[in-house]
Amino acid sequence: MTDVERLFRTYNAALVRYLTRRLGDRDWAEEVAQETFVRALRQTSIENERAWLFAVATNLVRDEARKDMRRRKHLALLAEQERDEVVEPEETTLERAQEAAMARKAVDALAERDRLALLMREEGLDYNEIAEALQLSPGSVGTTLSRARRRLVESYETLQKSREEREKNAAS
Amino acid sequence: MQHLDEGTIHSWLDGALSADEAARVEAHVKECPQCAAAVAEARGFIAASSRILTALDNAPRGVIPAAAPGRRVDPIVWRIAATVMVVAAGTLVVFRNGVGTAKTDQAAVQTVPTASSVAGPEISMRDEGTGTTGAPATPATTTAKPSPTAPARALSRLSATEKRGAVGEVAASDQVARSRNVPAAPPAAQTFAQTSGAAAMDAENEQPQALKVVGTPRTIGAKVTLYEVARGDTVTLTEPTALQLQSSVVTGVAAGKAAAAAPMRRADAAAVSAPPVASANAQASRVESANGMTTITWLDPVTGNMLRLSGRMPAARLQEIRLRIERERAAAAAAAAKKDR
Repeated sequence: MTDVERLFRTYNAALVRYLTRRLGDRDWAEEVAQETFVRALRQTSIENERAWLFAVATNLVRDEARKDMRRRKHLALLAEQERDEVVEPEETTLERAQEAAMARKAVDALAERDRLALLMREEGLDYNEIAEALQLSPGSVGTTLSRARRRLVESYETLQKSREEREKNAAS
Repeated sequence: MQHLDEGTIHSWLDGALSADEAARVEAHVKECPQCAAAVAEARGFIAASSRILTALDNAPRGVIPAAAPGRRVDPIVWRIAATVMVVAAGTLVVFRNGVGTAKTDQAAVQTVPTASSVAGPEISMRDEGTGTTGAPATPATTTAKPSPTAPARALSRLSATEKRGAVGEVAASDQVARSRNVPAAPPAAQTFAQTSGAAAMDAENEQPQALKVVGTPRTIGAKVTLYEVARGDTVTLTEPTALQLQSSVVTGVAAGKAAAAAPMRRADAAAVSAPPVASANAQASRVESANGMTTITWLDPVTGNMLRLSGRMPAARLQEIRLRIERERAAAAAAAAKKDR
């Protein structure tokens, strides 16, 4: 097994999940993950593999975002249109779909650094790896994560409450 | 010891503190109810945020195109085009079965001026078909647009109509058209080979070593194929699929056969829309390199589509791969043509 094969087998699942959560599109996530491994292929040596892979993937996403904000806006529109057409492979209940939509909103409301740190942590990166990938000081990772978690949960709960109120109003 | 800040509590719960620090925090939490409450709250945030993030894992696929976003066409346009196509085809069938003269055909074309570029090739095919069916004494060159691919066009139209699952009168009229066009098949093949150039000639000789297709990301408005040219080394081929959708709409009855006929029909359409380009610029290509990524853009002589091949490798190597892909595509087109006959 080559080194890249090993890297791929070890980290692909986590990387794709991280990117999917970040981007909201699995195909795009897989594409960025593939590009990340292609870049790893060209490295002679990588000191901290996981931090390196997550950092490169994050930068790829960021570069692309910077390059073409307009495209993303356009795509968000298309995504909305397609959502009506896409037949989900698994049966998605209304409840789950609503939860996913609220989660997306709550995650999008976070500051980019907070969001990335949290998503990386969820994939098991330790504080040093997160610090390396995001170029933070290791001492600030705890503060970043605590802020990200609190804000995420609070945003989500706010969304949940307003939904419940809407439903209550609709019922009465 | 002063109260713990939130960051330290999260660091502790995440196991990021040194043994010394962790012991100190633990001791403090035991004695300080305020900090114990903060720890409980932090545990809640950690669990809740994990749960919220899990909800993001069922993200849809294919929301973002892999390539050529600029060329994306709003799906509604496809739907309108498809509807116009079906209506146009239906109208033409009715008219042809009515009187069956060149006059009615003209009327039919006028009925659907909105069919525009998508429906264009299909209408032309109808025109040519009637030309040979209705007036065999009149040579095909009397039609407005004499085209070297006329026989091929008639052939592909036939196959398209077959796939439509037509019965009765439509099928009967097809039989007539077929009997008239079958003798024309060999010249059609010849024209086809000429159009597709050297690539097709190569394809006739020997099946080239197949490139491994490792992925076909879903996109709208373009067909994207990832080929693995060496272990871990992939190139991306992007091809606009404006007319592929058309064929799937028109020939939905037998999708498999339709797919086989598709390259032929697209070659056809290309000849109609841009004959001078197809012949003159067939081998012309543009090579760009940026950040180690090489991209070759060229007009595929077989389909008339602008193809884009990109990969992280020198231009010469990519050109070589392009030739291999062209050969394979030509072979596939030739196989489809054979099947059609």
